[in-house]
Amino acid sequence: MGTCMHNAVLRLENLTKRYGSVLAVDHLNLEVPPGQIFSLLGPNGAGKTTTLEMTEGLRPPDDGHVYLGNVDVIRHPAVARLRFGVQLQTSAFFELLTVRETLELFGNLYPGPLPVSDLITRMGLEEKAGARVEALSGGQRQRLALGVALVNDPEVVFLDEPSAGLDPQARRNLWDVILGLKAEGRTVVLTTHYMDEAEVLSDRLAIMDHGRVLDAGTPRELIERHLPAAMIELDPDVAIGADPSGIPGVLSIERRGEATVLVTERLEEALVSLVSWAGREGRELRGLRTRGATLEDVFLKLTGRSLRE
Amino acid sequence: MKATWTLLAALIRVTVRNRQGLFWTLFFPVVLMVVFSFLGNSTSHINIAVVEAPGTSSPVVSVLKKSPGFALHRMDRTRALAEVRSGQMDAALFIPNTRTGGGSSTLTLRYNNANLIAGQETVGSVTAFIAQVNVALSGRPPAYRIAAAPMAKSRASTYLDFLLPGVLALMVMQNSLFGIGSGLTRWKEKGILRRFRVTPLKPVEFLGATVLNYIAVGFATSVIIIGLATGLLHATVVLPLLALFLVLLLGMACFLAIGFIVAGVAKTQEATIPIVNLISFPMMFLSGIFFPVSSLPKTLSHIVHYFPLTYVAGALRGLMSGQLTLVSGAMRADLLGMAAWLVIAGLIAARVWRWE
Repeated sequence: MGTCMHNAVLRLENLTKRYGSVLAVDHLNLEVPPGQIFSLLGPNGAGKTTTLEMTEGLRPPDDGHVYLGNVDVIRHPAVARLRFGVQLQTSAFFELLTVRETLELFGNLYPGPLPVSDLITRMGLEEKAGARVEALSGGQRQRLALGVALVNDPEVVFLDEPSAGLDPQARRNLWDVILGLKAEGRTVVLTTHYMDEAEVLSDRLAIMDHGRVLDAGTPRELIERHLPAAMIELDPDVAIGADPSGIPGVLSIERRGEATVLVTERLEEALVSLVSWAGREGRELRGLRTRGATLEDVFLKLTGRSLRE
Repeated sequence: MKATWTLLAALIRVTVRNRQGLFWTLFFPVVLMVVFSFLGNSTSHINIAVVEAPGTSSPVVSVLKKSPGFALHRMDRTRALAEVRSGQMDAALFIPNTRTGGGSSTLTLRYNNANLIAGQETVGSVTAFIAQVNVALSGRPPAYRIAAAPMAKSRASTYLDFLLPGVLALMVMQNSLFGIGSGLTRWKEKGILRRFRVTPLKPVEFLGATVLNYIAVGFATSVIIIGLATGLLHATVVLPLLALFLVLLLGMACFLAIGFIVAGVAKTQEATIPIVNLISFPMMFLSGIFFPVSSLPKTLSHIVHYFPLTYVAGALRGLMSGQLTLVSGAMRADLLGMAAWLVIAGLIAARVWRWE
């Protein structure tokens, strides 16, 4: 963190929200550079949605500031709302209006909205343009919500858990649309608790837990900062203790559900000593594979828990 | 302002497409009125069983037949008595075979006496008619004649005329109370309100469009109900349009404000249903919709007098019966009562209303 960006399009300063005695968001500072996709990654209940809602001016913070460019979002939400678009985690539209009518309705709330037919094409909803919202599938509703978030041609788009509840195919389609938003020069801020989504989409990300940002940066920065290491994985039924001292070069041995993970900073040395350990002990190294550290490893190290819990 | 109209147009579209909602808004008032209009409109002619010897036909019968006020049914004595007793016939007229001494003949009339007034009406009609026949048969000009002419625009006060303003008031209450109390809570619960809050639409614009939508629905429904009652069911009421418009508007405003209290207090749509029922049921039965408040026990009627629906129904009935105008003294109490409810409920609603 630390480095101050002078060109940040969005700045959260000291943002704080209390629910009773619980600090849902704890003196949070973030800067989002323009034209990038920025992800808030964290388990459910980490405070991602509350952070986003305060940023959108939907929920008043107990302390702190949000700036969109030079606009103080909390003081002047009406001005800020002209410049950003929002897809809420649970937002519904009138079931009895059609897709086109919904986009027209929201477009008419802004000066100079984008043409509705363009939005329909962009979201791939041509065949459903005349269909009522009640007749849409989950993926189509999500695309409509994204289309509504774009009606005012916003410079910043907030997406709260955009792929929640979607099947794999629909998620991939959605990722293409989100990457398309970046290609148009928009800034995208999204929350997710899917590691693969964060990896595919994010230029920068912030890992959140318990209302705080544990670290923020590009995925590569985060991995290098926290885990310059490599991983050796074995099938979990290979009998190997938790004590790495018999295998020089291995820093730690952890059991993570579907695999036993050996962490090392010197992969070659660790592999050689692992093979000789296996020969000595008469063990078979079933499922042996190596990989670099991933965001998931960083997340685990920072939060002490898996995202899927 | 443009945003309000845009949203209002969308809301009206949603309302019109909500077939189920429209059905229930109209179903209850319409069914009530149709049922009660049949109860009120009994047949307008008198059914008379004629008992006379087979093969004969008295001149009395042939004259009676020509009168539109009577429907004659020839039958034997036993059946005639049975049908009069059971009410299928209003009366049975027994015509003797021959004239007995002095040229005078006695016709026996046995009439159904279940309803005292209807019974006397039957006897009176037949007696008057026979007297006419007597005069005609005597060949002398009558001493007095009656020139009868129907009064133009004459009105009979039927139960439907009493019911119509009540049904209108009831509809105003249900539409406003359920619309805001239940409908708005549903939008709140589903996240529709939140979605509008991240647009430049101002909260007051959103609420304004919602209120206007329910008012438009209320007036459209009023037109349909009044049209049906006067056009098809022959209700005879006075329709001072401007005064009715103002009273309906004030009544809707009252119940919209109460609806906002419900929407502010309840967290889910499910929770609104018992609350709305608790508010509307006592008023529906006590506030003079189906029977006058004055027929309630005294202590109860003193309380019921202050119910908002009592004021709305009272004002509408005053106007539609032609007895009161907006400036009548008796109307002032109803108008003030509604205004008081509007202000008090509005203030409470403003305190308890929550966007989330």
